[in-house]
Amino acid sequence: MSVRARIAAAARSALRRTHAIPRMWVVAACAGTFILLVPFLFPLNGRPHADWLQFLGRFHPLLVHLPIGLIVLWPVLEILGMKRPALREAAGLVLQLALATCLASILFGLLLAYGSGEIGTTVTRHMRGAIALALELLLALAIRPAWLTSQRSPWYFILLTAAVTTLAWTAHQGGSLTHGSDYLTRYMPRALRNFLAPSAVASHPDSFFARHIFPVLDAKCVACHGTNKEQGGLRLDSFESLMAGGKDGIVIAPRNPDASLLLKKVTLPPSDPHFMPAEGRTPLTVDEIARIRAWVQTGASPEAVNVPGMFFAEDRDEAPPPVGDYSALMNEILQMQQSQGAKLVPVSGNPSDGLILRTTDVGATFDDRQLQKFQRFAPFIVEAELGRTSVTDSSVETLIQFKNLRALHLESTAVTGRTLGKLSSLSQLNYLNLSATKVTSDMLAPLKSMPNLRHLYLFETPAEPKSADSGVRSSQ
Amino acid sequence: MKQHPLCSDCEDAITPMDLPVPDGLKKEWLACESRRQFLGRSGKVLGWAALGSLFGEAGFHYRAFASGANPQATSGLNRLGLPHFAPKSKRAIYLFMSGAPPQVDLFDYKPNLAAQFDLDMPASVRGNQQLTGMTSGQARFPVAPAHWPFSRQGQTGTWISDLLPYTARMVDDLTFVKSTNTDAINHEPAIMLMNTGNMNAGKPCLGAWLAYGLGSMNDNLPTFVVLQTKTNPKENNQPVSSRLWSSGFLSSEFAGVGLRSVGDPVLYLTDPEGVDRNVRRKMLDAVEEINRQTLAEVGDPETNSRIAQYEMAFRMQSSVPELTELSKEPQSTWDLYGPEAKEPGTFAYNCLLARRMAERGVRFTQVYKRGWDVHDNVVGMLPVLCQETDRGCYALVTDLKRRGLLDDTLVIWAGEFGRTVYSQGGLSQDNYGRDHHPRCFTVWMAGGGVRPGVSYGETDDYSYNVVKDPVHVRDFNATILHCLGIDHNKFTYKFQGLDQKLTSPVPAFVVEGILA
Repeated sequence: MSVRARIAAAARSALRRTHAIPRMWVVAACAGTFILLVPFLFPLNGRPHADWLQFLGRFHPLLVHLPIGLIVLWPVLEILGMKRPALREAAGLVLQLALATCLASILFGLLLAYGSGEIGTTVTRHMRGAIALALELLLALAIRPAWLTSQRSPWYFILLTAAVTTLAWTAHQGGSLTHGSDYLTRYMPRALRNFLAPSAVASHPDSFFARHIFPVLDAKCVACHGTNKEQGGLRLDSFESLMAGGKDGIVIAPRNPDASLLLKKVTLPPSDPHFMPAEGRTPLTVDEIARIRAWVQTGASPEAVNVPGMFFAEDRDEAPPPVGDYSALMNEILQMQQSQGAKLVPVSGNPSDGLILRTTDVGATFDDRQLQKFQRFAPFIVEAELGRTSVTDSSVETLIQFKNLRALHLESTAVTGRTLGKLSSLSQLNYLNLSATKVTSDMLAPLKSMPNLRHLYLFETPAEPKSADSGVRSSQ
Repeated sequence: MKQHPLCSDCEDAITPMDLPVPDGLKKEWLACESRRQFLGRSGKVLGWAALGSLFGEAGFHYRAFASGANPQATSGLNRLGLPHFAPKSKRAIYLFMSGAPPQVDLFDYKPNLAAQFDLDMPASVRGNQQLTGMTSGQARFPVAPAHWPFSRQGQTGTWISDLLPYTARMVDDLTFVKSTNTDAINHEPAIMLMNTGNMNAGKPCLGAWLAYGLGSMNDNLPTFVVLQTKTNPKENNQPVSSRLWSSGFLSSEFAGVGLRSVGDPVLYLTDPEGVDRNVRRKMLDAVEEINRQTLAEVGDPETNSRIAQYEMAFRMQSSVPELTELSKEPQSTWDLYGPEAKEPGTFAYNCLLARRMAERGVRFTQVYKRGWDVHDNVVGMLPVLCQETDRGCYALVTDLKRRGLLDDTLVIWAGEFGRTVYSQGGLSQDNYGRDHHPRCFTVWMAGGGVRPGVSYGETDDYSYNVVKDPVHVRDFNATILHCLGIDHNKFTYKFQGLDQKLTSPVPAFVVEGILA
């Protein structure tokens, strides 16, 4: 038996069990058909219509919150109604009101879209969602009397759940229309955002283009240069289409922002007929133009993660995880500081920022054996300044116990890199200085697996890259 | 026994305790002054502990840190609780361009000015700005466009004068602040304001505050070192003096230690013939003994500083020769800094020394380069000044970067104010002069804590007024402190009844827009 047949059978048996008034069903069927026909009666063709339609339509965002509130209240009353029958009675009224306001909202929404000539996938989705919601409410209202008497049919609650879900989805589409589709995700922690909504440019989700250029185009340009419309033969909804340009040729000239048509158009005086975005839509902000310009200036790469000079608050290094409180060991730390030898120095007045192992004053007399003495402070040491000391490859054995180590200085030591592979267990390590050591490039291979290692210094080593920027900070 | 001039045996004399002044002040006076008076009058040596119990724990301890020992001691224990938060930079190098470089010729690109050559600058732009006596009598203020072309450099396409070919190579690593402004229009008050946050002498400078607050990172070199560049007699050299690296009301051990630009970096550093290291040690021990007696008798906290300085000098006898011994520098160093760096006292040499000190744990190094005061003959002198400094600046930043030091070192390049867009004296096709200008000037920073490749702030078409994101000297200093982990509002020292701070009592704001 096919799924459809099974649903039909279930619906038939549900109907058989109800003692609904036939007239109610006739009304419901008529109303339902009318609602379904609405989009065909007033097709959204992207052309604006009479102003008064839009004037009334603009009350849609106001009106729309009435059914939302009522629909959310409805399941609450039904559930509480199990204990207090008076509330269940109220639920019926709320459902009726919800349907009525829902229909009014749809009407005003149509006036708005039809009047302003707005089209697009989100508009369509929002409209379809609202129609589905209205139908669900209608059906729920129709089978409610039967459900009240028998209480056995699960269909009422299925409809209720469906209606609430449809409401959430439709409301989200509406929100995206007014606030932009990235309204909820813009300030979301980056890890969560990548997990929830992989970027439209999925091949390089971390690139500067995906994070800072595409969202601008998406919010300000794609309505007219995208799937729904291709004004001027130009689409701006992907990197490829952006670079391909439109009828007037390419719009982005890498490394030449002044010759890039897109930048020219958005920086014209707003009164100019060629100014973009056209038709009084929200212009690009100075900041957005600056970031597009900087991206074009540096070559308009789809992969580049950073563009020099461009920096965004959300890109700031996240604060490293706090380390434990070392206050219990404070006496020892103080004693060490007052005596000769290597010292532990607090990173800041805040104990959870950890300790720095400082060997400036002991230099060459500090060796692997002395390093071992710091094992008991291991979890609190976030930076080890071991440059110009006598530590060797075997120091790594001790260092891998410094689980919270973020910066490791091994410059000008006898380290050969033989044991560097073991450092890969230090997941927090961000900075590694191997300048003026005998480290060769094949020793570095195991470090590639370290996700947080951003700064690796190889100045005056056999592994030093022989490029123009020799020895300079190499990022992974 | 000869009476100490600070002592009074007259029991009836009026003391501040009798005056109608706030209790807080009286308390401070008690903690500060009476130690000397009490000790002097009684003529007896009292233990510190007894004093502590007499005058109350808090007040006594407070003065004890402030005066005697470095709160960090040499130990790294920081009773001030500094840094307030995890710093991005541990140390700073301040390249001070004394005399005020002309921003409009070097960084602040104004292409529209070429068309306005010799036209009068509109009076509306000048507004109510008071001029110096050197140009206030001028009949007209003709616009003098930059004599040298600018070009876009680096990935960021930053505009910079062709006079700075080396700096041009590293614009992507620099953070420019084009909207810096100051209150003073003459060198001395302006340079004091830049360094100490106050136009009047007597306040501690930035380096002294850092030495006091963050303490030393090594036992053998001073926390705060000042390097002066040899002067070029052809240049208009404004004086710089130890007022600029003074510790003001902080203990004098936090003052900058100047290394000489000519001859031995520190005079009499080597022991005289026939005096070996042990003899020197014995002598110093005896001096310390005497100093301690003086301290006990007079109780002047400056005696503590003196003891500490003798000890530092002893350690510097071995650390400074090691610091200035450049023979082990690899060839790549000389390729980068240029042959000039081999000659002590040049700017390039000082930059190299600054890098070596950064490696050795010096907290704050300030390099002074004088001669930027180009009132006339800009066309003749500016290329000379740029040639003297450009490569050194580039070499220092690049060297720190390739050695992995730039991540936690802040490099600062600044003068005390800017220069006017209008010509001082005659303007010709070949030459012009520029007067002092406090309303805008360009500075740059690089390294830990600031965003590379950013140009912050904007000036008007005449590089005369700031039109976007002004940064006062106070804000600039607050930002420097922020990079070093210090909240400038919390970093205070009670003196003369006021919680003194580097950024003065006037509100100052960290420039968030340039922070990394």
